[in-house]
Amino acid sequence: MQDEDAQGSTTAPRRLCWGGGALLLTACSGPQSVLDPAGRDAEVLAVLFWWMLGGAVLLWLAMNGLFFYVTRMKERAFSPQAADRLIVFGGVVFPTVVLAVLLSFALSEMPRQRDLGEGLTLRVTGESWWWRVEYRTEDTETPVISANEIRLPAGSRSELELAANGYIHSLWIPALGGKTDLIPGRETRMSLEPVTPGEYGGQCAEFCGESHAKMALRAVVLPPEEFAAWLEQQAAPATPPETETARRGQAVFLREGCGACHAIRGLGARGTIGPDLTHLGGRRTLAAGVLPMSRAALEDWLRAPEAIKPGVRMPAYGHLAAADLAALATFLEGLK
Amino acid sequence: MEKARHTSLWQMIAAPIVWAVHFCAVYAWTASACAHAGAAEEARLGVALMTLAALGLIAVFAWRAWRQWDLLSENDHVHDAPTDGHRRRFLGHAGLLLSMVSAIGVSFVAAPAFYIGSCL
Repeated sequence: MQDEDAQGSTTAPRRLCWGGGALLLTACSGPQSVLDPAGRDAEVLAVLFWWMLGGAVLLWLAMNGLFFYVTRMKERAFSPQAADRLIVFGGVVFPTVVLAVLLSFALSEMPRQRDLGEGLTLRVTGESWWWRVEYRTEDTETPVISANEIRLPAGSRSELELAANGYIHSLWIPALGGKTDLIPGRETRMSLEPVTPGEYGGQCAEFCGESHAKMALRAVVLPPEEFAAWLEQQAAPATPPETETARRGQAVFLREGCGACHAIRGLGARGTIGPDLTHLGGRRTLAAGVLPMSRAALEDWLRAPEAIKPGVRMPAYGHLAAADLAALATFLEGLK
Repeated sequence: MEKARHTSLWQMIAAPIVWAVHFCAVYAWTASACAHAGAAEEARLGVALMTLAALGLIAVFAWRAWRQWDLLSENDHVHDAPTDGHRRRFLGHAGLLLSMVSAIGVSFVAAPAFYIGSCL
């Protein structure tokens, strides 16, 4: 009995330790991880991280090894000359050389992050609490407006102009690169060169108010041809609703004055306060990465946006008849 | 002049002052050159010149501190007696060490301009 107890008390922390280690390791991969890079800029950061970590581990081992050596293995007084030499080499020369090497390495990796984009320019504006996204290429005369999703072509460097409306935000897509602040009244920039097509998570990384934690976004990296086709499709006006329910939804949309805040190009809604909804149904997520893009989620959102995103400026439409609400959700989901 | 040195701290802190002035000047110059003209090469040239000047000045102060320390004539680096000679040599010793740290600091502050060729 006593033995069991003793055993239990030693294995429990060990299990916790292994469990914790495994938990930490699972955080290394995935769609929103600095350590699972999918772009050139994130690769640079991951390489820097691993080298710095390796350096820190080596130094830690060397320092503790030295402590162990002088306190446990060779317990004796040093001669003044030996002590002097240890201080000069261990305390001055060695750290200076190590810091110079690590600093030079880090700095030599940095210029690539400052390269200019080559063709596609995105303008990302931080709103409360969503992202306004505009795409410009050399061929497009007017920018293609979207929201809460950033799509980029793989294999080329895109320029991102960053602005903010109201509060300071920060755009961070860990799998693609570092983060940059979006500051009201100023224009900042970054550039990203994604390599691997896929879907990645992004997040506002600067506390910006009530729904800061719910200000996420999806970054979709596409092969260049697919991206071009997608952009062309986004530039087109919305397709008019085809089913009876969707047509009823459009009528509700217009009757309730949704167009005062939202734009649906081609269907007469021109508001610019909220996100452009022209191709809403084609996005991966709803409400800036918070909900999946589905009819049920749209209905929940329309009924009580405040319950999903505190402080949101969109009013609730829970007072609508259930059938109207469902029709509105069907109409919006159909805006592919 | 040489005799008054045991009372003055200036010789000891001259090199760190050069580092501090270089630090402020490099930041101000880079910000100004990049914000007004976007002239990265101008900014880098200025940083290079300021860095050479700072390292030169520090070398002068280091040499003077070395002479004030006067290690070779007495071959003793313990200066703990309450005498003018010990005070003078202590200040020289400390000044030399601070000169070395300042030179490293100036080099590290200038390093980004060496590697990064744009204002972005």
